Amino acid sequence: MPSISHLTEEFFRTLPFFWKPLLLTFELTVASVIVGSIIGLFVALLKVSKFKLGQIIANVYIMVIRGTPLIVQIFVLYFGFYKMIDLGQFWSAALALAIHSGAYIAEIFRGSIQSIDKGQMEAGLSLGMSSSQTMRRIILPQAMKRSIPPLGNQFILSLKESSLAAFIAMDELFSLARRLSAETFDEMTYFLIVALYYLVIVMIFTYVVHRMEKRLAKGDV
Amino acid sequence: MKKSLKAVAGVLFSLSLLVAGCGQEASTGNTGGQGSATAGSSMTKEAGVFTFAASGEYQPFSYFKDGQLTGFDIEIGNEIAKRLNLTPKAVTSPFSGIIAGVKEGRYDAAIASHAITEERKQQIDFADPYYLSGGQLFTRPDGTTSTLEELKGKEVAVALGTTHEKMAREYTDNIKTYDSDVTALRALEQGKHDVVITDSVVGEIAIGQGLKIKKSGAPLSEVQHGIAVRKGNTELLNKINEVLKQMHEDGTYKQLSEKYFQRDISKNE
Repeated sequence: MPSISHLTEEFFRTLPFFWKPLLLTFELTVASVIVGSIIGLFVALLKVSKFKLGQIIANVYIMVIRGTPLIVQIFVLYFGFYKMIDLGQFWSAALALAIHSGAYIAEIFRGSIQSIDKGQMEAGLSLGMSSSQTMRRIILPQAMKRSIPPLGNQFILSLKESSLAAFIAMDELFSLARRLSAETFDEMTYFLIVALYYLVIVMIFTYVVHRMEKRLAKGDV
Repeated sequence: MKKSLKAVAGVLFSLSLLVAGCGQEASTGNTGGQGSATAGSSMTKEAGVFTFAASGEYQPFSYFKDGQLTGFDIEIGNEIAKRLNLTPKAVTSPFSGIIAGVKEGRYDAAIASHAITEERKQQIDFADPYYLSGGQLFTRPDGTTSTLEELKGKEVAVALGTTHEKMAREYTDNIKTYDSDVTALRALEQGKHDVVITDSVVGEIAIGQGLKIKKSGAPLSEVQHGIAVRKGNTELLNKINEVLKQMHEDGTYKQLSEKYFQRDISKNE
């Protein structure tokens, strides 16, 4: 085990190297979370719709994506699809992450949409709104609020899973830790340091989500 | 509800049995190994067994053929074990972590095509060189980069922790690292990067297997490659040196080398 003083020393020595990878990890996560949420919402709506083919598509998507490892999905996009479309490094990783988390986000949205009392839909319909209007104006806003805690969880997962992009040669956080340990033959030190980076980002993020929850909860009676 | 709970419990229970079964098997295997330790030496981590590491992704030095780990490095390791009356146990690890693994005693030796460098010598001890080889620039057939100086402004892909990576970093910052040289070459072929630096033999083999890339420019400087052991394990180091010498004398080395490279790679081409 490296000593605390050695860890601190190395932490400060390598601090300047970490900015760019940190930014890249952040960009990867944000891109995948945004795209993943759009996919997730779309798939969730397909799943609760009365449109049979849509339901089948959504179910197959969720089954396939949840049933295969993320690293395999990244490699398929990066090495497998290059002849059809060359996504490049960033979007291979970001899209794989987005498609992956999209399946889980879809289930989160579906759960929260279905958790809204049926009476709400009936009330909307009886007021003369169409079912899609009711969904948009009444159901979704309430469902979104309920989705926030599990979504926060999912975003944390995406952040940590972005470390898998190291294996398609992306210079993100984990990749830098591996490089530093290969250069110095001192593996433990840099893996602990990078663990600290992830931990701190997750803590900050958890705090932000917690604040958001509290804020939105004010409206509730 | 109750029924499904029962089913889940059943599955979990049988899984735990399976895991416990595996654990038992492993532990008996272990004691078996210790039992056969009659030499009474602490030269290797596990008595009677010679554990050596290679990347397993460095054809023709270490690679998987029909699910079996093989290659020049692996056969050298097996031969060393045989001559020391030890059971060979080849394990794979990403190249970048192998030296650290030897340092920490996870492996008795690294037979993984490590170029002998001063930097590495500070971490581990090298046995006498076991082959001579050098780096080479590879590009796609239409590539023009043929010298290290021209790397500036190009994107270079290398395997993490190799001397090729180190060399590339002296000329450019735009470097992408993979776990394996072969993966880097494949990514190069797919147009993801401009240049790969790897061992000339490794690149040639990949070309022979149909990768659409070419050697570009003159070979970079040739360096000696060595087997690494933990610092202070002089007993093992001396024995490896002795065996290597024997293998050269009785022609086993030459035979092995010719099997993979059609020539004796301990000498200049």
